Amino acid sequence: MTTLSQQVSNRPIPNPKKSLITRLNMGTGLIVGIAFALATYYSMQTTLDDATLNFQRNNQVLLATMFMWSIGFLVGIGAFIGPFRWLIGKDLTAEEQLYLAGDGQGIKRYFKYCTDHKVVGIQYLWGVIAMLAVGGSMAMMIRTQLAQPGAKFITPSIYNSLVGLHGITMIVAMIIVATGPFGNFIMPIMIGAADMAFPRLNALSWWVLFTAIPVLCSAWFLGGIPTGWTAYAPLSVQAGPGMNAFIATIIIFAVSTAVAGANITATVISMRAKGMTWNRVPIFVIGATISVALAVPAFPTFMVAMIQTAMDRTFLTGFFDSNVGGSGWLYAHLFWIMGHPEVYVILLPGVAILMEIVPVFVRKPLFSYTAAVVGFAGIAGLSVLVWAHHMYMSGWLPMLNGPFMVTTEMISIPTGLIFLVILGTLWNGKPWLKVPMLGVYAFLWNMLIGGITGLYLSDVPADNYLHGSMYVTAHFHYTLMGAALTGAVAGLSYWYPKMTGRMLNERAGYISFWFVQIGFQILYLGMFIAGAEGQPRRVSDYAQMYANSNRISTFGAYLIGTGFIVLLWAVIHSWRNGVIAPMNPWGAKTLEWTVPYPVPLVNFDTPPVVTSDPYGYGKAVK
Amino acid sequence: MSSDTKFHVHHDAPEVVGRRERLGVRILIVADGSFLFAMIFTYFYLRNLNVNDGWIPKGGHTFSAASGWMSILPLVVAAIVHKFGQRNIKQIGNFSIITLLAYLYGAYYQFHQMSNMPFIVKDTHAFEGSYASTWVLIAGANMFHYILAAFIALGLVIRARRASVDPTLEKWRMRTASSWFTWIAIAGVICAVTTSMI
Repeated sequence: MTTLSQQVSNRPIPNPKKSLITRLNMGTGLIVGIAFALATYYSMQTTLDDATLNFQRNNQVLLATMFMWSIGFLVGIGAFIGPFRWLIGKDLTAEEQLYLAGDGQGIKRYFKYCTDHKVVGIQYLWGVIAMLAVGGSMAMMIRTQLAQPGAKFITPSIYNSLVGLHGITMIVAMIIVATGPFGNFIMPIMIGAADMAFPRLNALSWWVLFTAIPVLCSAWFLGGIPTGWTAYAPLSVQAGPGMNAFIATIIIFAVSTAVAGANITATVISMRAKGMTWNRVPIFVIGATISVALAVPAFPTFMVAMIQTAMDRTFLTGFFDSNVGGSGWLYAHLFWIMGHPEVYVILLPGVAILMEIVPVFVRKPLFSYTAAVVGFAGIAGLSVLVWAHHMYMSGWLPMLNGPFMVTTEMISIPTGLIFLVILGTLWNGKPWLKVPMLGVYAFLWNMLIGGITGLYLSDVPADNYLHGSMYVTAHFHYTLMGAALTGAVAGLSYWYPKMTGRMLNERAGYISFWFVQIGFQILYLGMFIAGAEGQPRRVSDYAQMYANSNRISTFGAYLIGTGFIVLLWAVIHSWRNGVIAPMNPWGAKTLEWTVPYPVPLVNFDTPPVVTSDPYGYGKAVK
Repeated sequence: MSSDTKFHVHHDAPEVVGRRERLGVRILIVADGSFLFAMIFTYFYLRNLNVNDGWIPKGGHTFSAASGWMSILPLVVAAIVHKFGQRNIKQIGNFSIITLLAYLYGAYYQFHQMSNMPFIVKDTHAFEGSYASTWVLIAGANMFHYILAAFIALGLVIRARRASVDPTLEKWRMRTASSWFTWIAIAGVICAVTTSMI
């Protein structure tokens, strides 16, 4: 009997010559996208009513151009062929589907509308690395400006834009940093699936996101984003043309997130291997699924806020203009109804990766799997009830601050469960201190500081003093970077052998880890001090009294930058020249380690049957 | 998905694929529901704040509650017709044509309403107040629902006339489409109830 992968590999390389899909790739996407954008730009310039105000007219033209670029690119790369063929009743043939899956196309498939989840995972990985590199470079510029009071490295308006662009670039990158690469490449294999539930939607989620990247970059050439990443109205309604790039980016990203969230959730619910009951699902899969399931309802509210901002700018509606019955608080509500769940959308997958790593490197079962799941679910559930703690000082109804303070502080209970699970797993264990495992210890330290400092901010009287200061900046970097990014980097070093077939350079991994983590403590502990002393955030200059702590922080930032450059070198160098990885270098028990590299198109020769839990270390085989 | 079952990427039965597709659509309905929530939240928030008496300024215009119900009626009719069509699967092509026509009429009606909005100030081209702003947002979302539903209904009409499609999978797609059609009808009713409270 031939196996499934033999059946696939014995087939001739699909070559549906008459099909349009063979001629489309990233190049045709760029050409059609640019053509659509130019056609929209020039046709709107000539046809718009002369009576339209210049501000309104410019915004209409720019927003339409940006959206048409995105649609044009998707047309050019072939994203709409499937829906169109469905519409006319001529579904894609099996050969065409196989071609779309990138079968036998080598490196070219990474530049096509490829439906193979492994390819999409690698596309996300490089997309995330690029975004983190750009966002990180902006952070270095910000810290260089803040190295000493009165510095003239950049102008205040460029500083303003840098802060906004750094913020939104990093937020977008962090939302996809774990669920993008690992949720696409690793997760389907982990649950024993042959692919994602909707392979074409999978490719769509990546390429839609891809079209947002040049749109966001265009903000630089349109005067920047002066509002910070929160884009509070009415400031964002009055801001210059660069704001359009922000608005278009968020709307495009929200579409990508909804599509990816639906796909990942449906995959986990409906495509688990036989025998993989819910209590046998790897904890990373649980964390990632809860994260995307939280993102699905969270992002549309931000999308609505952005559509309203766009309408105020282009059609002179009055959502946020108090002269015509609008309110800036409306924006704050809609933004933070998304904004606080989004923190946990970022955090949960990173933490779940670390929980996945601990049992493997301690060789013990995960301590209280149920507590971990309850912790994740509790965090997700409470996260939708805390948004207004970002508005304590906004002047809204003060009597409602109390309930939001309580719900916010209650989040420390499920977060405590997460700590308990990791500490319980480590307890009395003999950890194998490889690079992925280091991230677990860094997480425990960073999240402890991030969590405790968050308690002060959730407290209304303390927040009265601390809000709007560098203390807040340090706090959320401790949680998002110190915990979530640390988890994602640990995940990269853990799954790198499965994704590339090679081991990540271990020495470089250690060097990078220590540079980043030491630099991190220096940077943000310094920032805590400056913030507690009263230094406001988002300001390009400061009083002499904050000079020492800022100088220390900037030194820490350079250490982090150095650490990440070492990591980037390690990733690229090891991909080409690293030691060939064995199939299961860590001796883990989850399904992704049972398939060889390169992972076959359909992942498994025969559909796997799961008969035990994924963390049964040290247990007698029944 | 292909109708050719010789090689299917998932190697799953049409029932399994169909059920999965319906699940995916239902998850997307959650996202659309959140979008709807944000619009309704906006409507009542601004209505109750009534900042500077700007909800409907003095001399301002409104649409009647009835016109809101008229604009969503085709959504309800189409969803019911589609449900009937599912029960009489041999005639599904004819039922889908009625569904399609209902959506096209609804889209036309909504477009007509939007192009004749009474609350744009002639001199400045600005909207009169926050009622006008929220109304146009809700109408725009309704229009989006109509366009998407018309696309799906057109596909169902065309596919019902082609012999090459897998009948089992197609039956599931009818059910999947039904989930979406039912949802947008419910969303439409919620919008109509909302805009009735002027």
